[in-house]
Order: sequence, then structure tokens, then C-alpha cells
Amino acid sequence: MKKAVVIFIVAALVLATVGLWIFFASETFKLIDIANFGIIFLLVAFAVLIGYKRLSGAKRGEPAEDELSKKVMRKTSSLSFYISLYLWLAIMFFSDKLNYETHTIIGIGILGMAVVFAVCWLVINFTGIKNE
Amino acid sequence: MNNRIKEYRARFNLTQKDLAKKVNVRRETIVFLEKNKYNPSLKLAHDIARVFDTKIEEIFLFE
Repeated sequence: MKKAVVIFIVAALVLATVGLWIFFASETFKLIDIANFGIIFLLVAFAVLIGYKRLSGAKRGEPAEDELSKKVMRKTSSLSFYISLYLWLAIMFFSDKLNYETHTIIGIGILGMAVVFAVCWLVINFTGIKNE
Repeated sequence: MNNRIKEYRARFNLTQKDLAKKVNVRRETIVFLEKNKYNPSLKLAHDIARVFDTKIEEIFLFE
């Protein structure tokens, strides 16, 4: 129950931060900013979905975590870390060719890592885990 | 590894939710087990076998 509430709090904080960013932005938004907003909203929606699943499970009296969910999280973490290494390698390679500021590139990298994590979680949840 | 959880569940007239509650896991875990998308730990296999009052090898079929 607590973990589900934490997910909702973090999602609300992220949305509030994006709101502040939009409210205090002095320049007009570029295409990359709009793409960033889109990805952030998708990730928040993903977090809310997980939070809702956990909350509804807790209401039914199910444990918030069990051996399968722990294993899924462990495999997701290791796989997304592995893929993220290549993501940063690609960002390093393309950073010279793109005319973005350093903080924008770091932001893209962090968002990319979050997307990689979400995709890995979805794939592992869909395919399942077998002890090969 | 295949299993006969669905068959035993029907025999004991248990829903996935009931079985999940009895062995203290989430319903999704039972769904994954029945679809053969997850091989359980020895403890979970033992708990499931105990719910159905049988041996582990009766429910989980090692090939």
C-alpha cells in the first residue's frame, strides 16, 4: 500500500515540476521540448498504471510484492542497465553531430533510460520469466 | 516444465484469486504459472501442492 502511494506522490511531483517548467519558461518551446513533455507524460501514465495495479491488489488483500514481481523487477533492472550503457554510448557518439546544450543531452539520456526501463518492464511482463 | 494447476484448481473449485490468497502471492503470479510463463520457487511449488493436498511432482511435470 505504501509503495503504491509513493508512486503516486512521485508522479505528482514530476507533473508539478513539468508544470513549473512550462509556467516559468521564458522562450517558446522547441520541438525537442514538446517531445520531452510527451515522453514525460507517457512515463507518468506508466507509473500511475503500476501504482493503480498495486493499489487495487492491496485492496483485494494481495501482497504488494511477491516472488514473481521481485524477479521481474530484478531482471528489468539488469536488462535496462545493460541497454542504457549502449544508449549513453550512442548519445556520446551523436553528441558532436547534434547542436544541443550539455544539459539538454543529459536530460535526453535520463529520459531515454526511463523509457528503456519502462519498455523492458513491459516486455518481461509480457513474455514472462522462466528459469532457463 | 508444465503444470496442472488449472486442472487442480477446477477440481478444488478455487478461483485464481482464492489460490493466490492461499499461497500469499498476487493473482498475476497464478496467471503466469498457468500459462507456463513462470517457473515457481521450490517454496511456492510446495505451498501450491499443499493447498491441493498432493505432491509437487503431481502438479509440476518435469520434462
